[in-house]
Amino acid sequence: MSLLRIEGLTRRFGGLVAVDNVTLDIPPQRLSAVIGPNGAGKTTLFNMISGFIPPSAGTVHFDGHEITAQPPESIARRGLIRTFQLVQLFEGLTVLENVKIGCHLHTRGGLLAALMPLAWAQAEEVAVEAEAHRLLEETGLADQAATSAAVLPYGQKRLLEITRALAARPKLLLLDEPAAGLNRQETDALAALLRRIVANGTAILLIEHDMQLVMNVADQVAVLDFGRLIAQGRPEEVRRNPDVIAAYLGSQEAARA
Amino acid sequence: MLDLLIQSILSGIGVGAIYGLIGIGFCVIYNASGIVNFAQGAFVMLGGMLTHAGMTRLGLPLPFAAVISVGVVAVAGVLLERIVVRPLWNRGSTMFVMILATLAAQIVVERMTLIVAGDQPRSLPVFTDLPPLRVFGFAVSFQFLWIVGCSVIVIAGLALFFSSTKTGKAMRACSINRDAAALQGIRVSRMLALAFALSAGLGAIAGILITPTQYTAFNVGVPFAISGFIAAIVGGFGRPLGAFAGGILLGVAQALAIVFLGSAFKNVAALSILLLFLFVRPTGLLGSAK
Amino acid sequence: MNSLITIWAKARGNPIALLLWGLAAALVLYSFVTGGYFIAVLHFAFIYTVLVTGLNVFMGFTGQVSFGHNAFAAISGYTSAVLTATYGWEPLPAGLVGLAGALTCALVVGYPVLRLRGHYLAMATLAIGLIAYEVAVQWDSVTKGYMGISGVPPLGVGSFTVVSDRGLLVFLLIAAVLALLSAAGIRRSRLGRAFVAVAGSEDAARALGIDVARYKLIAFTISAAYAAIAGSLFVHAVGFVSPEVFGLAMVVLSFTMLYVGGIGTVAGPMLGAIIISALPESFRTFKDYQDLAYGAALIAILIYAPRGLASLPELWAKWRGKDA
Repeated sequence: MSLLRIEGLTRRFGGLVAVDNVTLDIPPQRLSAVIGPNGAGKTTLFNMISGFIPPSAGTVHFDGHEITAQPPESIARRGLIRTFQLVQLFEGLTVLENVKIGCHLHTRGGLLAALMPLAWAQAEEVAVEAEAHRLLEETGLADQAATSAAVLPYGQKRLLEITRALAARPKLLLLDEPAAGLNRQETDALAALLRRIVANGTAILLIEHDMQLVMNVADQVAVLDFGRLIAQGRPEEVRRNPDVIAAYLGSQEAARA
Repeated sequence: MLDLLIQSILSGIGVGAIYGLIGIGFCVIYNASGIVNFAQGAFVMLGGMLTHAGMTRLGLPLPFAAVISVGVVAVAGVLLERIVVRPLWNRGSTMFVMILATLAAQIVVERMTLIVAGDQPRSLPVFTDLPPLRVFGFAVSFQFLWIVGCSVIVIAGLALFFSSTKTGKAMRACSINRDAAALQGIRVSRMLALAFALSAGLGAIAGILITPTQYTAFNVGVPFAISGFIAAIVGGFGRPLGAFAGGILLGVAQALAIVFLGSAFKNVAALSILLLFLFVRPTGLLGSAK
Repeated sequence: MNSLITIWAKARGNPIALLLWGLAAALVLYSFVTGGYFIAVLHFAFIYTVLVTGLNVFMGFTGQVSFGHNAFAAISGYTSAVLTATYGWEPLPAGLVGLAGALTCALVVGYPVLRLRGHYLAMATLAIGLIAYEVAVQWDSVTKGYMGISGVPPLGVGSFTVVSDRGLLVFLLIAAVLALLSAAGIRRSRLGRAFVAVAGSEDAARALGIDVARYKLIAFTISAAYAAIAGSLFVHAVGFVSPEVFGLAMVVLSFTMLYVGGIGTVAGPMLGAIIISALPESFRTFKDYQDLAYGAALIAILIYAPRGLASLPELWAKWRGKDA
């Protein structure tokens, strides 16, 4: 059974059809990618899946439940966690605090826990601290734990956003252009991290432009152009697909990969 | 009963026109800068107070005192922009901080006026000292005619300014897209100062027009600012014509509230309308311009 | 409590923080010893500490705006005054009823208001504060309008009442310290983290499962509770209530204190409250100059020192190359 099932998902903005009748199955514990030229509707697709904008038509099912047009926080609660194309960190906080906020979903403390020294709440705080440190170790940001998120270099900001998303213990991680602005070295490190995440049992669906990254890490690839799904399958098949090549305006990208 | 109703509505229109002028002042500054100027009421207050001072201290006839006071208040508007708004703008302060600063400026102006002029309410003589006209059996005071007439002239003048003069068009360009305007060689900072001057002038005119029918004192600024703000919200923040319509609506609604519920409810009615629009239709009757 | 330990730990290595705390402690001790006028100033400062701490939770932590918290202080303050002075209730139950009233109002009003943003939110909250003022003035059968209610009994439980100035000082100091500690506790907790997440990025917060609308309402209600408690404390400490007590001046004053002290910090509210209360002593007889000075001071602070005093230790630490 697929983890995420999108059926006939469509989004119109006035006369413009940004996403046109897209149907996709995303399997669990695999790395899937959505690629396509700029303006192909990829982020709009993500926004609909994660509840940030409602679809004009179609349905989204996650983990057996229908989540179409539900608010983002409800969808997140089901285990679907997303990152953003323009990094949305909590800039005024430290790296560690950013990650700790990621743990919100699987912890319970409220006002009472804030005011009284309740044993279970204190134990929870200790656990959250430990988990946050552990995640930072895993993604390589451990020595930046006390640094303010605002001053991190761009590549590390992206990494922090992923670390924070992992803290939410997602079943499916939606990554919107995680490699944007990264150099070759950082992208390779990212690729290794993504494969580790999938190996640990979390499915990933990513939007990307970087063909090399996608070809290296993805188990399956879907291609959007002008909002429509034009190809689907394993990376090698998709890469050779003439429609895909044409959509990317020539063979430059395909040749580079 | 119907007589009372229509008479109330007429007086509501008169007050409403004043609210509308103040509301237009809000719009002008908001359109030019995205700031809500909570010190708008201070300009209204200064208009009336300065005109009174001009007449009593300097012995000027009313028209002269009025014109000079509008000019002085316009300068005060530019001072506010230079001293308070510009430094915050340059430091990239959040909009809340700027609102707070203009609110503080309102208090400063209010208190300075209190210290200089005392807390005695003042009034101005009516512009035309004749008994009210009788129109279809209803009393229409000359002051009402002055208010409505001046409002129409002011609005027409503004419309002409924004649509036909170079400066006016430049200001509109700034409000639509500041960066593009700057690239076109428009001096954006000058436009901001001009917006404040214009808005202050509008407030002063409103204050001068209304003072003969009620009093003015150091503390009338805030209630007027609130009414003007409500007018702007009801009309759709950013649309001057809408603000004027909103003002009329507010004035009439208040007048009706006084008739049916008693004068105690005057302010509650106004504030309730504000909350109603904020909750249900924040973009106002005509929808926001931006 | 844990918060005390953390505050001490943070302050210990930082000379500026120690200096500020030392000054505050010296001030309190001085007024306790000498008595007289200065104690009244600190009464005022500690009551406002509670109010401003609440504002800090809503505006500093959660990054929202409210120009109308004086409404909650008014609701609880008037309830306390009316129940104790007019109906002879004990202060504590009266205060609890006042608190309940303010919380109910916060929940009812907060729900629609908090869907607004920016200047709409600012204006709506201002409207709430103004409506509260109007009600206080117009509902004169209960509130006695402009004249106000006098003869509000002092704080106390049963036969034990806090009558002396020094006793009241200790009581209010404890209240202020509890306010700060509770705010610190909130900030360090999961709840506080959710608040600052809302301030940092609403989208990111929602994407992590935080129900932003709900947490805004929680922050709003919590801060209303602080305001309500401050309101009740005020009427008992002063023995009198009128609409002016909870008017626009309270809004400007509390914001000045919030910004001087440092918005978003834990100790800021108390530092700001003490300084703003203590400063214009010589102006006290000239109330008009006082408000003007506050207004001008607020403008200057907003322009030149928007992070306030309590951020000084942080600046020091950064300057020294350590993390605060």
